[in-house]
Amino acid sequence: MKRNLFWVGLIALILCLSVTFLTGCAKKAAVKSDTATTQEQKAVTKAPSADDQAAAAAAAAAREKALREQALREKAEKEAAAKAAAEKAKKEAAAKAKAILKELQIPDIHFDYDKYNLKPEAQAILKAGAPAYLKYVDYKLVVEGHCDERGTVEYNLALGQKRADEAAKYLADMGIQKDRIKTISYGKEMPLDKASNEAAWAKNRRAHFVIFPPVK
Amino acid sequence: MQILVRLAISGLFLLLLFSNSPAYGKVYIDIDSPSFQKFPIAITEFKPLGPGAATADFPVWFADTLSRNLLITGYFNILDRRAFLEDPIRAGITGEGTRFADWVTIGAEYLIKGGFQTDGRQLITEFRLFDVVKGELIVGKRYTGTTDDKNRMVVQFANEVLQALTGEPGLFDTRIAFVRKTISAADIYTINFDGSDLRRITNYNSLTLSPRWSPDGRQLAFTSYKDGKPDIYLRDLASEKTEKIISYPGLNLPGSWSRDGARLLVTVSRDGNQEIYDMTVANRLLQRLTREFSIDVSPVRSPDERRIAFVSNRNGSPQIYVMDADGANVRRLTFEGNYNTSPAWSPKGKMIAYEGSVNGRFQIFVISEEGGNPQQLTFAGGDHESPTWSPDGRYLAYSVRGFGRSRIEIMNANGQNSRVLHEGNDGCLSPFWSSHLR
Repeated sequence: MKRNLFWVGLIALILCLSVTFLTGCAKKAAVKSDTATTQEQKAVTKAPSADDQAAAAAAAAAREKALREQALREKAEKEAAAKAAAEKAKKEAAAKAKAILKELQIPDIHFDYDKYNLKPEAQAILKAGAPAYLKYVDYKLVVEGHCDERGTVEYNLALGQKRADEAAKYLADMGIQKDRIKTISYGKEMPLDKASNEAAWAKNRRAHFVIFPPVK
Repeated sequence: MQILVRLAISGLFLLLLFSNSPAYGKVYIDIDSPSFQKFPIAITEFKPLGPGAATADFPVWFADTLSRNLLITGYFNILDRRAFLEDPIRAGITGEGTRFADWVTIGAEYLIKGGFQTDGRQLITEFRLFDVVKGELIVGKRYTGTTDDKNRMVVQFANEVLQALTGEPGLFDTRIAFVRKTISAADIYTINFDGSDLRRITNYNSLTLSPRWSPDGRQLAFTSYKDGKPDIYLRDLASEKTEKIISYPGLNLPGSWSRDGARLLVTVSRDGNQEIYDMTVANRLLQRLTREFSIDVSPVRSPDERRIAFVSNRNGSPQIYVMDADGANVRRLTFEGNYNTSPAWSPKGKMIAYEGSVNGRFQIFVISEEGGNPQQLTFAGGDHESPTWSPDGRYLAYSVRGFGRSRIEIMNANGQNSRVLHEGNDGCLSPFWSSHLR
């Protein structure tokens, strides 16, 4: 690293010296050649002396450096483009996955107090929700059974399991393979609404559906 | 921990001071009868029995600690020391120097006197229980140990007093497991019968429920969601090792143990529907007991292990049922009310405690094991749930929630003398009483 810095410094010094030399002593030559684009190039074409040779080497190094930089720049641009494309693809995939999840999402179904039979509106929800699972066969489903706060911990765990079982059975009857559906009861331990009134209880007596995307 | 306690207890050299009077061990009064009156008892300040280190607080400390231990049993009416007629300086701690008539006058039927002697850390104590009416010594004990043992000496003598007057030792060596629920988790704790020494048993940042103490008190079975679903675990309390023992799909809940600790009743969903099984703990083999497409949960064994009480909704609402130990001969036990759950069979047999819904609130009931004539034991506001019997069948612990508070309470089996065992803003649920732990 240090060595590189030394060489870069040296080249820069030589360049400066040659520039002062050329602008000071070879004004006529410089005037002659209008087409030259840079003073360094003029120096290369015009001065084959010992000093000129050093300058030429320095200029070559500089050109090489410029080329290298451009190559790097191009590479970076290419990479950025590829990355953008990948990101776009990823975003599209995510959007697609999100759309699939949305398609697969079954809203909560609700139950009467101390009951686990599926009410007609619950059956309608399950009927509408099942076809997506027949379409996306890699996705799995966990049915959570929940209860309101009234009653015993254990009896409610059993009741929540029954609610989950009933919903799972209905979905299996709609054609979703049994091994894609798992059930879990949380009893009354995870209410949506902690209030102690009929509205909260009605909200809490539910089966909730959690989608499990395929593991890649 | 238990081993430590056991060692410490055996370290107390126990000497009988006098040959026991014939009254020792005899049950004086049936404390289970509804007409039971509390024992009026006087406990004097303890006397220094010789020169010793500075122990100025000992006379009152012994009297107060013994009073407190007897008071929480709910069987004693402790007389106020300020009412005592006897001159404590002149009176001795033996029967000879005691004027029993003075104690009868102030209404005492029983009297406890005691003394202590210290030598460095060495501590010798003497305790005597007298029948004031008969003017007789009932039981006297001398304990030798260190000053660190003084609490254990008091508890030991309190047990002697209970044994002598009620025919059963005290419950000071029992603990109660329960669930403490926060917003994000539920964990199992245990606490002494007197409300001291609260200990946290699980810490899974998950739902952990339904503690079931093994009959020898060395293990706790429980259900935890710590691996994402409700499985049954077994915790060895001494080694603190926890083993997952049942993990079928769906619900896995522990019920009651067999007395030999070899089998555990469980509710699992192995066969597509949740059913009650009797599990052999050693090999995890399940014997299926129920075959109904309904809820069947919370199984408990009768003390003779020939029957099992459980909760079922097979006739529509949750009710208590009883079946034979092999699942045969199912009969319904409760008919009053539309929600009766959490059966607990008294270790003395004959009675089953449970919670029932009364005007939308849960109260504790007991019912004869043959059914009929349920008796309501709690009447206060809030929900009273999950009754559990003390090993002598004389007390019930249960949870109370309501008004933003939650607690575990203990009451005598006749519904009297309820006291708070533990209270918190968190949920205190599902108490389960241990056996005697030494």
